[in-house]
Amino acid sequence: MRKRRSKYALNVSVIILLVILLITLNSLSLAYKDVAGLPFKSINSTIIVQRNGNVPENMTGVVLSCSSAPIGADYLSKVKGVDGVKDISDGLLLWVFDHDNFKRVFGVNWNDGFGRGIVSEISVGSAPQTSSEVLVDKAYADHYDLGVNRQVSVSGVDFRISGIIESSGKNVIPSDVYVPLTSAQTLAYNSRNLQATERFSETDVNVVFVDVDQVNLKQVSQKLNNILSVGQSTGGNTPTGQVIGSYSIYTPTSFENQISSVFKLSDQLTLILSLIVPIGAILIIANSSSHTLLERRREFGIMKAVGFRNRDIQQVVFSETLLQVLIGYVAGLILSFIVIALLARTTVSVNVPWEVGGYPHFLLPNPNLAGTVLTYLLPISFQVTYALLSGAIVVAIGLLTTMILARRINGLKAMEVLRYE
Amino acid sequence: MSDLITVKNVSKTFVKARAVSNVSLTVKDGELLAIQGASGSGKTTLLNLLTGLEQADEGEILFDGENITSMNEDQLALFRRGHVGIVFQFFNLIPTLNVVENIALPLFPVRMARDDMLNRGKVSAEKVGLSHRLDHYPNELSGGEQQRVAIARALIVDPKVIFADEPTGNLDEKTGGMIFELLKNLNKNRDLTIVMATHDQSIAAASHRIIKLRDGMINNE
Repeated sequence: MRKRRSKYALNVSVIILLVILLITLNSLSLAYKDVAGLPFKSINSTIIVQRNGNVPENMTGVVLSCSSAPIGADYLSKVKGVDGVKDISDGLLLWVFDHDNFKRVFGVNWNDGFGRGIVSEISVGSAPQTSSEVLVDKAYADHYDLGVNRQVSVSGVDFRISGIIESSGKNVIPSDVYVPLTSAQTLAYNSRNLQATERFSETDVNVVFVDVDQVNLKQVSQKLNNILSVGQSTGGNTPTGQVIGSYSIYTPTSFENQISSVFKLSDQLTLILSLIVPIGAILIIANSSSHTLLERRREFGIMKAVGFRNRDIQQVVFSETLLQVLIGYVAGLILSFIVIALLARTTVSVNVPWEVGGYPHFLLPNPNLAGTVLTYLLPISFQVTYALLSGAIVVAIGLLTTMILARRINGLKAMEVLRYE
Repeated sequence: MSDLITVKNVSKTFVKARAVSNVSLTVKDGELLAIQGASGSGKTTLLNLLTGLEQADEGEILFDGENITSMNEDQLALFRRGHVGIVFQFFNLIPTLNVVENIALPLFPVRMARDDMLNRGKVSAEKVGLSHRLDHYPNELSGGEQQRVAIARALIVDPKVIFADEPTGNLDEKTGGMIFELLKNLNKNRDLTIVMATHDQSIAAASHRIIKLRDGMINNE
């Protein structure tokens, strides 16, 4: 009896393991995909478009963030006209090399989707009401001892700080100072260095946020790529030497590769899972079959001798298998729930491509660190779908096991077993 | 006494040997019949043919007028469950079930509440004097006790006949004598037909009738 109990315990353990692997790894894989989309939630969009341009010879005064190029109204209208695009927001990201410090300045339209996202992150103060009011990132404000109602100077133009936001580590394109878009456009238009590098019109922007339904994402992304690439040559070189195309289109899919290496494992683990599931199933079947046939042949022979029909024995075996499957499944569900609850307390980092919201590489010791790192709580949750899927798989394993045993039980002759064993 | 079992020209051949050859006999209702013979004479095969555990190659066996040689495997299982109790030389108890569960085993496939089943098992255990051993497992019992469990298991279906294959063959003389007394009392007090294969001369002598087998054939009756 002890021997059989240990075999039952092994079967139940294998089922528990299968359920945990199926639910947890698939949920992890789903979370991994969701993580890639999180940076886009803060900008109320699903696609970021930038045009790639030239790098200024001298990093002085106001320049476009490297290596972006101006995007004019004609391009904006092309983007707006693509089927599936719900809304667009635009902005102008500038690098400002003032005599005493460097700052990233983002021109924002407070009323569009991106602007509303920025305003919603104000922790102190209020949204700018005039063209001379700005928001300042908390890290920058702390470093330069700035606060609400204080002045911040951008290329010689003074702005009043109306609020402080915490964008660092949250926003896909973080900045130090968020100014009204028109004010940023004026700063850019008046910059000689910028105009010497790229021809900038006073209504140009250099970042476009496109809001698209998730289902249309791939199609729209492809259409944007086709439309914007027509007649364009390469855009230039990144500060790290990479040749880049005339446009860069970033989607959650393109961010998946930027997720920390731990999460890259999840796809590999899911792949391994697809191997473990059948192997686990084979283990259960092999274990139960050998257990039944080698150790229970005599028992089944006795049952037949005292009046059990084949179907009566099959019912006994089915009940035993069902009980093991049920115990294993319920225990697996509970343990999966606990594992997922623990995983949900971990954080995951997303490295935003340098070109999206990079920091001047020459101001950092390592150019590879110039990209933005965003940190999120792992968006993993217990998925009922996977619970049902794992349930279906273990039931199938149970049925398969019972079917195989049923065939063998049918072929068992009571006296052959009792005579020779 | 009326005929309970009628065997007509039954033969059974295994791969190399003819185990039972053209056997005909009758068993009366309420009879205590001993089938005697040396090892390999065909006693066990004949009993297995009578219980439907083996299929005859030739001939027919009528049980209470019903031809069991034409039954399929499921029908034979139901026949055994309904009419027959079997006692084996090596007890054939299931080691993972306790005494009362082993006794109640033939009732497991019957639609019956588990408590009712076990209560019937307890009643059957009482008949063989095992009420004090209900929770024990076979490996905790002596040979005689294990054979009593097997007899109680045979009795639980309220059979018309008990087939016992060398029921004392694996027991010492004293215990074997007690087991035979038990079977004899069941025959006498409950009018239960008992067909028993044995090579024990004294046990055979105490039966109502002896059939002697030699090389698969009835030597004398």
